[in-house]
Amino acid sequence: MSSGVAVNPECLDTFQELKLGKKLKYIIYAVSNDNTEIVVVKTSESASYDEFLADLPAADCRWAVYDFQFEKDGGGKRNKICFYSWAPDDAKIKAKMLFASSSDALRRALVGIAAEFQGSEHSEVSYESVLDKVSRGN
Amino acid sequence: MVQYGGDEVSALVIDIGASTLRAGYAGDDAPKAIIPTTYGFIPQSTGADVTMADAGPEGETEPPKAESTLYIGQHGPSVWRADMQIGNPVVDGMINDFKPIPSLITHALRDVMRCNPEEHPVLLTEPAWNSVANRERMAEIMFEEFNVPAFYIANTGVLNAFAAGKGSALVIDIGNSTASVTPVVDGFVLRKGLVYSALPQLVQAHAKHTLVMPSHNHPQIQLLPHQLISNKTPVEPGQAPRFTIREDRLARTSPSLMTYYESREVDEWGQSVAGVLDQGWNDQAAAARHARHYEFPTGFNTLFGPERYQVGELFFTHSRELAASNPHLPRTIPTLISQALAACDPDMRQVLMGNVVLSGGGSLFAGLAERLNNELSRNFPHVKIHAPGNPVERRYGGWLGGSILASLGTFHQLWISKEEWNEHGKAIVGQRCK
Repeated sequence: MSSGVAVNPECLDTFQELKLGKKLKYIIYAVSNDNTEIVVVKTSESASYDEFLADLPAADCRWAVYDFQFEKDGGGKRNKICFYSWAPDDAKIKAKMLFASSSDALRRALVGIAAEFQGSEHSEVSYESVLDKVSRGN
Repeated sequence: MVQYGGDEVSALVIDIGASTLRAGYAGDDAPKAIIPTTYGFIPQSTGADVTMADAGPEGETEPPKAESTLYIGQHGPSVWRADMQIGNPVVDGMINDFKPIPSLITHALRDVMRCNPEEHPVLLTEPAWNSVANRERMAEIMFEEFNVPAFYIANTGVLNAFAAGKGSALVIDIGNSTASVTPVVDGFVLRKGLVYSALPQLVQAHAKHTLVMPSHNHPQIQLLPHQLISNKTPVEPGQAPRFTIREDRLARTSPSLMTYYESREVDEWGQSVAGVLDQGWNDQAAAARHARHYEFPTGFNTLFGPERYQVGELFFTHSRELAASNPHLPRTIPTLISQALAACDPDMRQVLMGNVVLSGGGSLFAGLAERLNNELSRNFPHVKIHAPGNPVERRYGGWLGGSILASLGTFHQLWISKEEWNEHGKAIVGQRCK
């Protein structure tokens, strides 16, 4: 069951830029104001995770792609591209329904995601919980 | 491929549950028509089959003959009629008898909403365990009998998860007759993890037992509805009621109607008085809570103390005596949850427990959400229950999700149009409505 909301080609281009260009740190996506397509709301090169969390609004839904960098125990840096679905409880029910039923379209369009997170409050997408999940794998 | 593009026409959303049928316009925040799914009918034939029907309890009564009038809606089963019997097409959340369905839908759409279904696309909801034959039959009824221009059938589990903004969630839906736990992962129901039981019926039966059996603080309570009482005088709490029964009516009240009226009285009592303790069963805690006052239609009134919590406790635990006397008890909510989780991938379990969505009218049972939270927190590190505080959102979560979905302009490409139905037939339902 999907809403039929389309993914704007810009979403993919920006994602490719993040994946291959290695400059962008994160991308924030949202449903456009006329509820017909998913668009890029913001891109950032800031390495601050707190700044990223501040871009997830308290009462509206967003998707995000974050290029998560961490040190592996045995040394060496790793990068994992993470996909976030952000739907806080305070968002309007219509926004949440539209968001959840459109998720699949965006998620399927993005190739090369290493981990996915679904959050409704900041503790669920905190730096520690994301680090814990991404570093568990290889 | 846009087959149906009626941009200006608002769609209709219909959600058929065991106790009520909800219908309304897509985009609204509450259904316009809420009618009982239960209907009344007076058997036309004489003799043999009437007595046969009398023998069975509610649900087992003989289905009405085609020619008998169905009494539906507000003035349906709740209005007393001589020899009227009661039927309900929903068994275990699924439509079991399609005969009264067109009449019920017609009543909701034409009589209550005053709209013409031929002019509106219709989105219908179905339980996660609905059968393929059932949904195809529903599509057939909508296209062939109601001539709807377009149709879609959506799963209530997924609708509830989506309405909470979650692609993956563990949906706990407690209705009037069935409690279900549905794992939804990335917008799809995980079939093998889907479990449900008739738990609400056990809770209701227990509540009825509590009331009609004499106990230390109340005598046997007569569950007579106001339809059968001609007058009463107020009495002090705990005193025998003084009322006059309508003997003329009582004699011609069918057993199935009586069962229906009694269950309504039990429901009312449960909704106003019964609850569940937030920290598990404890005699002292139950005794420490305030007793609640309740008056029955007969005029009998009294205070209910710990027994009102014993009723709710059945959602979570079955006492040893009860389990010993009946090996086929409906599974409790914690059992349902652990069975659902056991069927899921271990990685998925933590995600599901962090995204529990509570819905259904039965989940409004006083204290149930808190208790569930406490029970689950004991066994899982990170539990988050999403339970809408607004009772309308909780009770009609599935309907509401369907309402929003069907109101989206972009959803039009997903409708099954009448033309497509005519061309492809039943197969298109399974292809389109995943």
